[in-house]
Amino acid sequence: MSEELELYKQAYERERKARLAAEDVLETRSRELFLKNQELEASLVQLKAQQDALIRSEKLATLGTLVSGVAHEINNPLSFVHSNVDTLGQHSDAIAKLYPLLIESLAVDESERPAFAERVFKFLEEEDLEYFTDELDELVSDTNDGVQRVKEIVRNLRSFARMDAQVRTEADLNEGIRSTLKLINNQISANTRVNLSLEEIPPVLCNPGEINQVLLNILVNAAQALEGQREPTLEITSKENQGWVEISIADNGKGMTKEIQQRIFEPFYTTKDIGKGTGLGLSISYGIISHHQGELLVDSAPNKGTTFTLRVPIQTR
Amino acid sequence: MKGVVFNILEDMVVEKGGVVLWQQLLNRAGVEGSYISVDTYEDAELFKIVHEVQQALDIPLEDVIRSFGDFMFAKLAERYPMFVEAEGDLFGFLKSIEPVIHLEVQKLYTEANLPTIDCANGDNNRLVMNYRSPRKLCILAEGLIQGAATYYQTPINIEHDICMHRESDHCELSISKVNV
Repeated sequence: MSEELELYKQAYERERKARLAAEDVLETRSRELFLKNQELEASLVQLKAQQDALIRSEKLATLGTLVSGVAHEINNPLSFVHSNVDTLGQHSDAIAKLYPLLIESLAVDESERPAFAERVFKFLEEEDLEYFTDELDELVSDTNDGVQRVKEIVRNLRSFARMDAQVRTEADLNEGIRSTLKLINNQISANTRVNLSLEEIPPVLCNPGEINQVLLNILVNAAQALEGQREPTLEITSKENQGWVEISIADNGKGMTKEIQQRIFEPFYTTKDIGKGTGLGLSISYGIISHHQGELLVDSAPNKGTTFTLRVPIQTR
Repeated sequence: MKGVVFNILEDMVVEKGGVVLWQQLLNRAGVEGSYISVDTYEDAELFKIVHEVQQALDIPLEDVIRSFGDFMFAKLAERYPMFVEAEGDLFGFLKSIEPVIHLEVQKLYTEANLPTIDCANGDNNRLVMNYRSPRKLCILAEGLIQGAATYYQTPINIEHDICMHRESDHCELSISKVNV
């Protein structure tokens, strides 16, 4: 019996040893896991910071596209406004001199009238005032047009530029399409036919600046896909469809293979030349639409064209 | 309470009275009795077993707990030698409990309810340790300090005039080196 007891005791000791060894392994592994976890957490913090920096750089790239568009759009009217004001300035001196002549004419004797008239006609001819008065209406109305165009661009820019506002507000997405189109007008080649078919749509609770950023990305991509195409056409439609607002932007450009389509929403994936695209535009657009509980869909075929459909649920306050 | 404390109590009882006594104490305490060091168990379960130990040995409960602390230190030093090896003397080690040992324990076991310990040097031969814990296991702390003193071969005397068991919000353990 005592031998049996001794064996039990040995068994107990062995089990105890095994348990201690197992616990030691467990603690070592736990400590390793803890350290790995710490490393991962640090990496995550770093990744998030890098991601934020990239999103900022993508916003800057969007801003760059905008700025070049706006600069181009403002430059045209500005140059003829400048030229008209210059012409007006040149003639304002002559008009200023004309005024004392007018006063003087009131006191001229009958006998001196012909000589005075000759002097006036000579002055008008020298200063080209006859031509100027013919053109004056046009100069003023052209200048007014130019100023209106600049005002319009500024208005579009205002509606677009709420990019950093984090608040959601009810917005008309048709207005977003129109203002974005105007701002990137210079990126769309002159021979591109742009067909706008915008139906009446209800306002959508959204961050308009962010939605405009998505529209800008898709429109610029479409414009680039149309480069060098014959009869380039851009079809933009909007409609209400069972609780959603749907915007579709279709081009008849180069199109994409299935393989490319599967990857376009991946961060850093780009088919553009180095330096031309960050590869973040569509991935950020996808994120923005997802945050709006919406969908961003793509349908494309090589050499046929691409259609992006943006669906946002109609939510009001 | 971490399972390692139960394991060390088992070691102590088995060393002094054998496996049979430990099994009897577990049965008397009415506890399940299988503990793994890395898990956490109810404090009350430990107190039930300690109560049975006290009954079996028929010595004051404080003495049981103090001896257990002394014994526990030696076992912990065996299991986790890096903490004692990192410090060259007793006071250095006691000062490292909060910033080093508790920090490491907390990393592995976020659920561990560790006491708060802060140390202030009275002079080279005296260290004042303030102990705070809802468990009020200051006697166990005394035993552990005594165990540490044995490990570092530094005879000490502990005065424990301010105590949570005497309506203070903390215990003050004044540890003095004894010249021999």
